[in-house]
Amino acid sequence: MRVLLIEDDAILGAAVRDQIAADGHTVDWATRLDTARDCVGTVTYELILLDLMLPDGRGLDFLKARRAARDATPVIILTARDQISDRIAGLNTGADDYLVKPFDLAELSARIGAVARRYAGNPNPQVEIGDLTIDLAQRLIQRAGHPITLTAREWVLFEAFVQRPRALVTKAQMEERLYSFDAEVESNTIEVYIGRIRKKLGHDIIETIRGMGYRLGQPKRAAS
Amino acid sequence: MILLWLAGSVAAGLILRSEIDEVFDSALQEVTQRILPLAYSEILNSDPPAAGESPIQRLPSVLPHQEQITYIVRDGEGRVLLQSHDADPAAFPALMTPGFQDLHGLRLYTEAAVQGTLFVTTAEPISHRRQAVIEAVGMLLWPLALLLPLSQIGVWALVRFALRPVQAFEQEIEARGHGDLSPVNVIALPRELAPVAGSVNRLIARLQRALEAERGFTASSAHELRTPVAAALAQTQRLIAEVPEGAVRERARTVEAALRQLARLSEKLLQLAKAEGAGLLAETPQDLAQVLGFVLDEFRDDPDAATRLTITLPSSGVLLSRMDADAFAILARNLIENALKHGAADEPVSIVLNDDGLLRVSNGGAVVEPETMARLKRPFERGGSSATGSGLGLAIAEAIVAGAGTSLELLSPVPGRASGFEARVQLPGIPASR
Repeated sequence: MRVLLIEDDAILGAAVRDQIAADGHTVDWATRLDTARDCVGTVTYELILLDLMLPDGRGLDFLKARRAARDATPVIILTARDQISDRIAGLNTGADDYLVKPFDLAELSARIGAVARRYAGNPNPQVEIGDLTIDLAQRLIQRAGHPITLTAREWVLFEAFVQRPRALVTKAQMEERLYSFDAEVESNTIEVYIGRIRKKLGHDIIETIRGMGYRLGQPKRAAS
Repeated sequence: MILLWLAGSVAAGLILRSEIDEVFDSALQEVTQRILPLAYSEILNSDPPAAGESPIQRLPSVLPHQEQITYIVRDGEGRVLLQSHDADPAAFPALMTPGFQDLHGLRLYTEAAVQGTLFVTTAEPISHRRQAVIEAVGMLLWPLALLLPLSQIGVWALVRFALRPVQAFEQEIEARGHGDLSPVNVIALPRELAPVAGSVNRLIARLQRALEAERGFTASSAHELRTPVAAALAQTQRLIAEVPEGAVRERARTVEAALRQLARLSEKLLQLAKAEGAGLLAETPQDLAQVLGFVLDEFRDDPDAATRLTITLPSSGVLLSRMDADAFAILARNLIENALKHGAADEPVSIVLNDDGLLRVSNGGAVVEPETMARLKRPFERGGSSATGSGLGLAIAEAIVAGAGTSLELLSPVPGRASGFEARVQLPGIPASR
């Protein structure tokens, strides 16, 4: 997932950026609203983390402008303003969630996951595909009660399929997801990871749409 | 007015007395002059007294009556020749001098005739005249005796009626405090007092601005304090995630725990500052059932709270009250946290907000002793609980309810049960239409 972090505090911003990146998302960090406006004008984000008090304006005005421009990108407000009236104003303006500073980074990760799932049309963190049980919140996959472990990079790619079960995921979208690991993405990197996921979860788990990309498969439930 | 009336009555009395003297003196003179020829004729025509018989003739009365004017007829040597039947010769002077004279409480008038050999003196008690004046002035004064209490009652009722809007105005001002700085209603005030109300409202507005500035400062302070704590906590958590298991990670966890404690304490102190500040009552009623929903949402990620909280909201789903939404959120949050922390861990925490605006937060646990209950609202008082907490929760709740003009009632055991603890707050400013 590509995330825009708008936070003017350098120390907090760095920690939040590292946490989101460690969760496997790609983060762009803006410390001012004008930079943030440039970012949303050039890149499509799947989530925005928005501080309310920034050096060049109020976060709520930025959010209001985005919603007025029919931008439905999920927004989580991160703020030191704890008043319930601020929270109501934020949610009424179109924010999806609200976290008051200081917050736990684990809590932030959980909220990001919940908002992402809600926007993917599947707010339930428990997903069943064939005989696989997937907990998106806990990042757990089980087959018949036995856990299957994916690496962070495998998970980031697999999550993209689970969040939009019938959607096509292009190779470019998957490459963007891997940028957060600051790794060199070779021309065959995606194929390598798709191969590893299929090896662990079954070949049918991901379908190849030739020349276009990949899609979540519909594996059959194993006969009992 | 009463003094004026009294002065008028005294003046009327003096004038009356002078007029009465004039009229009565004239009457006395007239009577004397009428009696004189009659007496002379009577004396001439009467037979000389027999031996041993009194030479004084006493004229009998025709009908019995009280004689106000008496008379005596004497000769030139002072011997009484004739007298009216009630006349007392001792009260009359022995030697007569023509004209008016006051003697022995009598007003006397004497006429002489027959070359100074016959004197007629008429007398009238001066008290009779005084009585006439007193009765006349008394007639003037008795309406005053009636008028005085009547006018006092009337004035009292009139003043009371006229001051009713002023009293209402006074109560409106009295109701204002640091929790309620809404403008005073001036519609029903007398025209003379309207400028005063305008001045009061301008003063309240200035006070409101000053307190809002103070509130803004508290909010900014909260922001300035929270951000570095958040940054330190987040960096520490990243450190824990990035370093391998071992001594450094353990030390980082210790720092994380200390930072959490610092965050909690600073949060509570900011809440206490806000609770003791202004603006605890809003100008217009707000839906506090919705606010309670937001507060409960804060506990959604707490697995303990998720299993223990039972919630009952108003049947309509809406509760309008004039308590400020942020103040209510702090109040509800602290009461719920208090119940979760200090109540029995295996018993539910019940939160009830009814249609009449009564908020009840109750938890299980042993009965709290009355002397402990009395101390619970003090800051940093834990009432013997072993649970970790700031010790400020109930102090913050108490400061908020006091500022909003209501009260926090603590009960143990929970009414109708043998154990447990309940905190109750009747929310202020519930619209009467409910």
